[in-house]
Order: sequence, then structure tokens, then C-alpha cells
Amino acid sequence: MNRSSVPSTVERAVVSPPRVRLWKGLLALRPARYHSLARAERISLWSAIVLLLFVLIAPGLAPHGTTQLVAAPLSPPSLSHLFGTDDQGRELLARILYGMRSSVLSAVVVIGSGVLIGGAIGLVAGIAGGIVDSLLMRLTDLFLALPGPLLVLAIVAALGPSLQHTLIGVCIVWWPWYARVVRGQARATASRPHVEAARLAGLGRMRVALRHVLPSSFGPVIVTASLDVGNVILLLASLSFLGLGSPDPAAELGSMTAHGLTYLFTNWNVAVLPAAAVFILVFVANFAGDAIRDLIEA
Amino acid sequence: MSVGSQTTSPAVSPVAAVEDLRVSFETQRGTVQALRSVSLEIAPGEIVALVGESGSGKSVLGMSLLGLVGSLRGAQVAGRVQVAGVDMLTNADSTRRLLRRELLGAVFQDPLTSLDPTMKIGRQLTERGVDKDRAIGNLTEAGVPDPRRRFFEFPHQLSGGLRQRASIAMALGTAPRTDGLTAVADARGFPKLIVADEPTTALDVSVQAQIVLLFDRLRREHGCSVLFVTHDLGVAASIADRIAVMYAGRVCELGSAADVLERPRHPYTRALLDARVSVEISRSAPIRGIEGSPPDPTSPPPGCAYAPRCPRAQPDCTTALPELTPAQADPTHRVACIDPLDADHHQETWSESPGRVLAAKSAPAGEPALELVDVTKTFAVGSGRLRRGGERVHAVSNVSLTVPAGGAVALVGESGCGKTTTLRLACGLMPADSGSVRWSVDAGRPQLIFQDAGSSLTPWLTIGAMLSEQLARQGVERHERRAQALELLAQVGLDERAAGAKPRELSGGQRQRAAIARALASKPHLLICDEPVSALDASLAIRVLDLLAELRAKLGVALLIVTHDLGVARHSADQVAVMYRGRIVERGSTDEIFDTPAHPYTQGLLAAIPTTEPGRLSPTLAGEPPSPIGEDHGCAFAPRCPYAQSVCAQLPALGELAIDHDVACHFAKQVAAGDAAPGTLESDDEAAKL
Amino acid sequence: MTRLVTGRLVAMVGVLLALTFVVYLVDAVIPANPVAASLGAGASHAQIIAREHQLGYDKPFYAQYWLFLGRLIHGNLGASLRTHNTVTSDLSNFAPATIELALLSGVLIAVLSLILGVWSASGIRGANLIRVLMTSLASAPTFFLGIVLILIFYSSLHLLPASGRTAGGQATGFVMIEDFFSGNLSGWFGALRHAIMPAVVIAVGPAVAIGRVLRGSLLEVMREDHVRTARSKGLSEFAVMLHHGLRNAATPVLAMAGLQMGLVLTGVIVVETVFAWPGLGLYASSALQYSDFPAIVGVTLVLGIAYVVINAAVDILQLVADPRLRDQ
Repeated sequence: MNRSSVPSTVERAVVSPPRVRLWKGLLALRPARYHSLARAERISLWSAIVLLLFVLIAPGLAPHGTTQLVAAPLSPPSLSHLFGTDDQGRELLARILYGMRSSVLSAVVVIGSGVLIGGAIGLVAGIAGGIVDSLLMRLTDLFLALPGPLLVLAIVAALGPSLQHTLIGVCIVWWPWYARVVRGQARATASRPHVEAARLAGLGRMRVALRHVLPSSFGPVIVTASLDVGNVILLLASLSFLGLGSPDPAAELGSMTAHGLTYLFTNWNVAVLPAAAVFILVFVANFAGDAIRDLIEA
Repeated sequence: MSVGSQTTSPAVSPVAAVEDLRVSFETQRGTVQALRSVSLEIAPGEIVALVGESGSGKSVLGMSLLGLVGSLRGAQVAGRVQVAGVDMLTNADSTRRLLRRELLGAVFQDPLTSLDPTMKIGRQLTERGVDKDRAIGNLTEAGVPDPRRRFFEFPHQLSGGLRQRASIAMALGTAPRTDGLTAVADARGFPKLIVADEPTTALDVSVQAQIVLLFDRLRREHGCSVLFVTHDLGVAASIADRIAVMYAGRVCELGSAADVLERPRHPYTRALLDARVSVEISRSAPIRGIEGSPPDPTSPPPGCAYAPRCPRAQPDCTTALPELTPAQADPTHRVACIDPLDADHHQETWSESPGRVLAAKSAPAGEPALELVDVTKTFAVGSGRLRRGGERVHAVSNVSLTVPAGGAVALVGESGCGKTTTLRLACGLMPADSGSVRWSVDAGRPQLIFQDAGSSLTPWLTIGAMLSEQLARQGVERHERRAQALELLAQVGLDERAAGAKPRELSGGQRQRAAIARALASKPHLLICDEPVSALDASLAIRVLDLLAELRAKLGVALLIVTHDLGVARHSADQVAVMYRGRIVERGSTDEIFDTPAHPYTQGLLAAIPTTEPGRLSPTLAGEPPSPIGEDHGCAFAPRCPYAQSVCAQLPALGELAIDHDVACHFAKQVAAGDAAPGTLESDDEAAKL
Repeated sequence: MTRLVTGRLVAMVGVLLALTFVVYLVDAVIPANPVAASLGAGASHAQIIAREHQLGYDKPFYAQYWLFLGRLIHGNLGASLRTHNTVTSDLSNFAPATIELALLSGVLIAVLSLILGVWSASGIRGANLIRVLMTSLASAPTFFLGIVLILIFYSSLHLLPASGRTAGGQATGFVMIEDFFSGNLSGWFGALRHAIMPAVVIAVGPAVAIGRVLRGSLLEVMREDHVRTARSKGLSEFAVMLHHGLRNAATPVLAMAGLQMGLVLTGVIVVETVFAWPGLGLYASSALQYSDFPAIVGVTLVLGIAYVVINAAVDILQLVADPRLRDQ
């Protein structure tokens, strides 16, 4: 290899204090490979970012609230109400925008809890090894062997339908996959020579775990999480469709579609538009997930 | 038995002809020019060895002959490749496929990955169109014992050597001819040409010798031509009729094995021969590394690619590509150099380096750097609930070993002999079942240099960060760390640019150096090196061994070198210990061991190592290294030993044969004296049956 | 091999116990007091206590779980609050429709995922387009796909019925199977017309997910050394893909297939609701509307057991696909 490609950032590297800094590991993933992405992948990344910002900001800009009656029930789409109104005369556009925001935020909550719970369990199992490892992993495997979405359905039905209960239910079943990923990566890394080298050098257990083992799972976790966003949104929307989300006045895309089914052949927009909104969210999330995977794994 | 001197008549039309072949690959780094105008002919029944370092394009040439180069990602191909008169570049897929089915065989490097793990051996043989009887016949032909049973087994159920024999059996079983190629097909259904890409690299030395002999026999009995791709000049010497030396995508020298090895005309060939850390050369002889590194394959220099490293380079070398032209009168010996070496090059320069004797003088006396006393280690077979009925792997049995302060000891043996376990015990990575492991008292733990040095560096940290982490651990003040880190890097020949780099930004050789610098940071008295050069090309290997010798001389650090390569042991250690199935079977000063080996295993190993003397190879070691599962009763080598007698059912003790020379063999004296063994094995068939 | 299969089956029984335990917990936290409900509004406090004692509700929870298991084994799941039939008889009435739909979906999943995976991995023309199409399809919620299909094939084109299922299958409830074997082909065709849209909607998501894993796995396998060996033997690209590619790519694909079953089961409930398909899903969905807990518990158990059994089968299939797993 020619030496000119070695960056001349000697000072920073050599004098950097060897404190445990996780964010540095994250920065190591900083997409230096962005330029190797195909154009389609860059587009999907940027559209995901734009959509995310839009979904977070737009409800605030909407002229109407989710419960405000603005026109006659079941008005068709018009210039004043782009998507028309629902069976009570509430504006569909405003309700869909709020619904999208709640979908995205719910997905973030579920995946965040998955990463935290699963990551902690996986890291402990992967580093401790032995009996702790096999106990934690048996538990994880048991959770994976159970039909998660189905149990969420039963749990939420028992607790009483609401968005909070749905989120609690999904969080309970969603962590095992992350535990598997982190544990697998930690185990694989722990047997790699560079970890043995660090141990031989006499570094402490904690330090080896956090600085020489853990960062290897950042990439796989980010990839898993970004490919997971779409799945979580779909599952939450399905549960809401079945009536397990918050009851009526709340704007949720799934339950809005379910209500709209009654008017499908007369006012298609009432059912189709909220469903299409879910589709758009998941579509963008999936393509962005693919791009993020290529960015990290390339 | 002598091998490889079959003469070939140039009048016969060649089996394969490559003309002006150019292959490049579009990659993210740019266009890699893998082959830059290569021409080569292979005559019927001829074995041509293609020799070169990694990246020289030798494997790409093999793939081209198989007509598979176009299927590689991003490949662009120009030129002509003909096999049996059929063009392998322009013809339709189906034609090339037919040719592969009926006329070509291929054997690849790693027998584990090159067989389909989900398909039985038999099915893999027969899916090519041979019937079951023929397939079993081919397994027999390739020296697979009990072929009827192996036919129904999966690849993972076979040992490494057997897997490679099965691969060869597969290459042998070409489909019965069909109408399309009647004119050229072999009536008996043996391939006209076998492309063997590093077929012995992944194998143990004793098995390697058996496989090389197998190729030679196939050629003699069935007239198969072989293109034998290898990085090892010794292997090439032992089998090839002709040798083509490749450098940076071009053939730089081509001729009979004797011409190329004994009268090399290209400075690169000469340098390669000099850079061999071979067993047959005395450790007091100088070894010359090759300075510099091969050119970037995306932008090779306009002139001779070797010119930047060549001490004979002239201004003309850098302007035009030298063509392969006959060296003086002999038209079969061709060289691509505008100023080739003389045939009897006595007074000429071909290397700037005066050469270095790697071996340092014997160590000063003092407290030993490492002392293993009667160490034993066993493992359970399998893991968890799948543990099989109490059988254990006896990895290390009663091993005693001392590394004197500042001394260098080599621990050698084949795969599964327990040398890696001994290494892990020695550096404290695992506890011994019994016996003691002692390091010199006041010094820090021994440090380990891993086989793949790159993997011992944490991928997401810079070299500088790892060094200062280590220095902080030594209690070095923060403001001094930078200076000390740079000093460490300087010791291993790296400059400060390396400090800011992550491991993947460095070359293989640089990573190896960085790993050594890191190991030195804790000022160890002992460096334990696990196969320190086996992943490196010859020219790089020399430089790393050189560095280790220098560190030993300058810093007084002792070395324990664990290796399967007897050449490395001979040139870098004062003392050698030979391991076989968990026990040390012979131990002594390096000169004693190599000049008068007294254990039949050591003798066999030495004889199995190919040298650069053309056509010299004899199958002295039969069978494969044994599995370490279960307790050993008696001498573990007895089943492969030509001297074995009933007394060998008792475990021989490691006894003193001469001063500083211990052997564990009931017949050590006879073996050392060179008395003939009662029943020496003659053929590789017998060898395989064991 | 036999030992490994036995091991998998034992593990399956363990998971089934865990499943029943979770369902028992759900059953136990249900707010409504089943004893009070079963005795009617006029029951006195003492009556309720006596009945609770009789049914074991005053025992510690493990003993109650034991009783719960006993009731399960006898098929006693209580009575539906909505239909007033026993849940067991409801389940056996609605199950055939769901099983038929699931079988049809299963066939579609297998065929579609194979086509999508092999096509998109093969690098032939249109592979990129297929990838985009696959991701799009995988992004559509089942209810969205269902609505769109209804609007196109029923509302606009009048090609397919929008909802329900043909009558027939009097003996077993399996309309399509009975019609087919009794030679009533027009009846069979009518049943198929009803089933095809829901089956497609159920199948698309899992087929794409499995197809994507198959693509990744195939691409990886086709770069392996043994595939190079197979090519060097002169096998056609098709034979290489069929005999060496697919078999080696199977392990992660099977794992994904097992995983997808969980989503298929919720998908069944949603799709049966959209298409008013009279199966377990529609039963469950109505039960959810009416807070009919015994019915919810019953459906959860039946579908959960199906999931666990299918996954055990997938595990065993993996052993068949990869001989190395057998000898570990």
C-alpha cells in the first residue's frame, strides 16, 4: 500500500487520552463511504431524512386539529380540504399527518427500547459467557420461539386497548432479536485475536469489553434497527387496524382505515389515504434501511 | 524416486495456448490490471508451474484456461486462450462448458471450502457425468482409501488430505465424450489438462509431498497436462517440467525447471530464490530480502514493473515493457529483461542488500525467560450437552520447554500437534491442567505476535491510540506518551504516519510491524510468535524475520517461535523442539536437529520439504498427522514410522542422545546413524492407505 | 440425527409450556371476573366465594396454572361471551376456512419467494427492477394491499368477489378440498376465486422477506469456492444454482421463514377482517371488538401452537438441509 493514503492526523491520534468514549466508536462508523453509494441509495437516504423532518413538523403547520369538525361528513377531496373529510366531518389530511407522526414516534420508542434492553442483555451475555450467557440466551431463545405479535394481541386485549398498552406489549416482545445480534457479535469479537491481544497487554476487563469488544456491534445493531423500522410501523398499524390502538378520537392510521372500510365503495379516500400513508412511511424506511446497510457493510 | 524430468517434444500441438492475454477488473479502487499480455503454451503431458507472489496474476491465468475468467466480477478480457484448439474466450458458454466437462479438471487451494458441504462426495463426482464405478475408480486412483465408504460421506467427514484427494478424483472424472468434441476428447475420459491452483498450500508438509507425487503419477499414467499454480519455488521445483515466473501480471522468465532454478536470468527470479528461508541452507548463510513492494496493480509503471526494486535497473528499463525473448542461444529459456543476468552469474549484482545472517549468537546465561515444566492440557470433545462420552483431546502431554533469557527457541510441528495450545499455555491465555508455567520474575508477561498480525489490532482504533493505551497502562505520563509511541514505531521501522492510521489503512507488512510495536510497549522479556510469517510473501517474510532478529540483538528480548515451517525455525532459532501429537519428540540445538535428526518423524519432515533442486522429492512420511482425541498408548508416531517395532507400544522417554540433543525414540541411535529402515514405503498409494 | 430431532421436539414441548403459561397470565389479568360473569348478575358474595373455591381460584398461582393446563388438555376453554357457544366448538367451526387459506398462502409464499429470490440474485435483465418491486410490495400494510386489490379486481374490473367464502364443504368445512375431490370443479373454481385475493395479500409480505434473504444468501453462496469448483466441472449455471446454490443458501432462508410465521398469523387476522373470510381471524377480530376474552385466549392458543409446531418443523428442516449441523 502506498503511504500517501495514510491520513496525517498523527497528533490527534497519538495524544488522544485513552478514556472510554463510546461516541468515538460511533464516529468510527461515520459514512466515509457515502460517496461509494449508488445514486438511488443516496436519494432514498435523503428522502428518508426529508420525510422524517416533514412528519415531525407538519402536524404543527396543519390548519386544523384532529378532532375539529371542518366540513360536512364524507366530503370528497377539494381544494380547501385536500383529502376530504371523514364520516364525522373531521379533516382527513390533518388526521393523517398526526397519525404519521405518532407512527414514527412509536416505532422509535419500540426500536429504542429494543436496542437498550436487548443490547444490555446481549452485551452482558456475550462478555460474561458461561452460565450467565446460557441462562440469558435460553430466555432470549424462548422469547424468539413464541409468536410475538400474537401474544401482543392477547396482552393488549387483556390490558385494555390503548396506544401505551400496545407499545408496552410490542416492547416486551421486540428486544430478543437485538440481544441475539449484540451477543453474537460480542461473542465473535471476544474470540478474535485483537481482544486476546488487549487482554494479554494487561488491560482491565471493563476496558476490554467497552473499548475493544462493544464497538464491533454498533454497525450490525444500526443495520438491524434501520431495517426494522418498517416492520415495527407495519405491526403497530395492523394492531391499530384490529382496534388495539387508542380509541376513536385519537388519530391513528390503522384504525382510521378500519373505520373507512364501511365507506370503501362510496368514499374510497377515507380508507385508502390513511393506508397509503402507512405504505409511504414503510416504503421510505425500507429503502433508507437498505442504503444504511450498504453504507455500513460495504 | 525421481520426479519431473519427462521431456516433451515441441513439435506436438499444445493442449493449451495462451496468447497476448490481458485481463483487468473494474473495482472501486480503479481498474486492476491482473494480466498484462501473457503468452504461454502447455504441451500434452507437460507440467508447467506458474510461480509468483500474491497479486501477480497467476490464479487469474488459471481461471482463464478454465474459461471462467469472464464470470468474475468486473472482468474485462482480451487476447486468445485456446484449450485443445477451442477458444475459451469467444466461444459460447455451452461450448466452454462442454470443454470443461470433457477435457478439463480443476483443483483449488482449500479443500474444505472448494467442496460443497451439503453434498455427498459421490454425488459431487458423478454429477459431472461419470458413473458410480468410474467415480469410485477415480477415488482409488487419487489415493483415497476405502473409496466405497467415502463415496457416501460428506466433505466435513474427511481429513484435509483426503478432501484434497477427493477434489483431485473429481478433476480426474471427466464426462465420457460426446459428439461435439470427439476429435479431441480422450477416449478413456481422463482430462487433457488439470488446472491446480495452490493445491498444496493449505496442507501439512508431509501431505503436500504425497499430493505433489500424486500429480506426477497422474501425468505419467494418463498423460494429463498440469498447470500448477504455486507461490512456493520448492514445490514448483519438485514437480514442474517448465516454470513460468510471474510478476505484476506478466511472465518475467520462462524455461525448463533446471534452467530457471539453476541458471535464473531475471533479477527477480534470482531474488526470489535468494529470499527463500529454506531448510537446506545453513543458518549461517546470508539471506537477502527483496526491497520495496510490488507495484500498485491499478497503475503499473510504463516500463519493467520490477525496475523500481531492481538494483540493475537502467534508464531504459522504465520506458519500455521488456518482451519475453530467448536468453542467448537457448530458445526454450526466455526472459523479459533488457539486461539479463549471465548464465553463470558470479560477479554480478542482483541485489543491493549484502544479505543478513538471521541467526544471532547464542544467548547469555541467566534466569530463563520462560520455563514450562511437565505441562499437560486436555479438552473435552465437542461442547455443552453434545459432549461425547468422556473422550478428551490430549492437546499437550508432559511438555517441558525452556527459553533462555535473550535466546530464541522454535517449536515446530504439523497441524494438530499441540503447538498452538503450548503457545497459549506459555503466554497465560489458558491455565494448564498440571505442570507449571514460569516467566522470569520481574519482567512483564510475555507478549504474543499473532499469525495474522492485522487481526491482533483493534480495527476501529488507530495504531497511536492503541500504543498510548498500552503506555498509559505502564504508567507513562500523558505528555510523554506521544514521544514514546513514536519511538516504538521507529524501533519496528514505521514512521509517525502509521500512528494516525487504522489497521486497515496499512499494508500487511506494516500491520505486522505495528503489532510488534504494540507488543514491545510493555517491555516484555519474551516475544511469543505464532507462525509469524506464514501469511506473508517470501520477500516480506524475510524482512519480518530480520526485524525479530534485530530486536533480539538490540533489546535482548527472547523469542519463542511457533511454526510449521522448518525453514523459519532453522534461520531464526538457536534451539528447536519438534512436537508430535502433544509431545516433544526431539529437542536440541538448531544445528544438531537439522544436521543429524534422530527422530524418524523429524527426518521424514525434513525430507518432505521441497527444495529448489529440480525433481527431488521422495515420499518418506506416509499418512496424515493423527487426531489428538483420546489417550495415546505407546509412541504416537509408530503407525507412520518405517522403524516401528513391537517395542514402540511403550511410550519412549525423551532421552539424551548427545549434548544438547534429546530424542524420544526407541531407535534414536540407529535413526541418527542413518541405518536403513526395515520397511521403507515406496509409493504414495501405500502412504495414503495408512 | 435421531437424537438431534428428539432434542428439537423436547425443546418444542418446552416452548409450548411457556406459551400456555403466557396465555394463562393473560387470562389471569383479564379485568372481568369470570366467576361472577358465569354465575350471572344476581349471585351473592358467598356464592361467588364458594364457586371460586370450587374452581380453584383461591389456590396459589402455580396450582391455578396446573388447573388451567388440565382444562386445556380436556379442550375446555369456556364459552364465548359473544356467540355463547363453547370456544372449542367455535374454533373447530372456523378453523377449516383458515387452514385452507393458510395452505394456499403457503404455496404462494414458496413459489413467489423462490422466483423473486432467484431472479433478483441472478443478475439477469430486470433484476434491479425486481428488487425495487419487492421492496415496494414488502412496504405495503396488508390492509392497504387488500383494499387496493378489492378496488381494482372487484370494484373496477368485476373479476373477483370482494368478500366471503362459498358455501359447501358440508362434511369437513374444507370447501376447496371437498369440491376438488368430489369432482365439483366449478364449485372448486368458485371457492378459489374467493380465496385468491386474501391468499395473495397474506403471501406477499412473507414471500418478499424470504425472497430477499434468499437473494442475499444465494449471492453469498455463489461467490464461494465450491461453486467455482462446480463451474469448473462444466455444470450449467442453472445446475450450479439448483444443486449447489439453493441447498447451501437454505439455512438462513428457513430461519427467516420460521420468523415470518409470526407476522403471517397477525396478517391472517387482518386479512380475514378485510375480506370477511369466515375463519379464525375474523372470529378473533370480532372477539376483540366485543372484548370476548375466552375467544381471544382460544384463538391465541390455537395460532400460537401452530406457530411453535411450524417453527420446530423448520428447525428440523435445517438439519436436513445442512449435514454439518447433524454432526456437531
